[in-house]
Amino acid sequence: MTGFFGSLTHFGAMTFFALVVSITFAFLSKRTNRERLQYSVWAFLAFMVIAIGIGWLMYPFSN
Amino acid sequence: MSKEAPNRNQAVAIAAAIAGWFVPGLGHLILRKWRKAAVYFLCVGALAFAGLAMRGAVFSGSSDDIFDRLGFFADLGAGVFYFLSHAIQAAGPDVAHATGDYGTRLFASAGMLNLLTVLEAFDIGRGVELRGDEATASEAK
Repeated sequence: MTGFFGSLTHFGAMTFFALVVSITFAFLSKRTNRERLQYSVWAFLAFMVIAIGIGWLMYPFSN
Repeated sequence: MSKEAPNRNQAVAIAAAIAGWFVPGLGHLILRKWRKAAVYFLCVGALAFAGLAMRGAVFSGSSDDIFDRLGFFADLGAGVFYFLSHAIQAAGPDVAHATGDYGTRLFASAGMLNLLTVLEAFDIGRGVELRGDEATASEAK
């Protein structure tokens, strides 16, 4: 288990973070399982798309 | 149709909040929100464990640096995971590598996430809950 987390890339760590936080936010803010599932998926995708989008925006300034 | 919130007293709310801070999900367990208790424990625990496994830094309260102090308060939110961090992370932090830096953020995120669940436990203890359909109210437990 330690080895798995120890070898995570930046993208892997971000994906893990997005997944866990999305699930927690869904349970904090929604009441039914259906709403929670929808919110989890939506928040997870939003995390990923925004993070990758910001990454692309920063790309020209990387050098 | 809205569900009438149970009228719980302030002492239960405070006890649930303190318990929920110390052990993520315990506050909800006291309030008989079994599913939420399990999810919060697993999510906060997974983030905290991942942060420590990635050899992230855990801040102490004795630092003079304001950002270290902010980090300390974030880390402290993880409750028992903060106090056990030295036992779980026997090798100590290693922020010289990027993985250790990610671990620092993940552990701080665990603390902040747990503080949100503590606020919810406090609200549920006071009788303030999300309003929902009567038919699905039991599902939320």
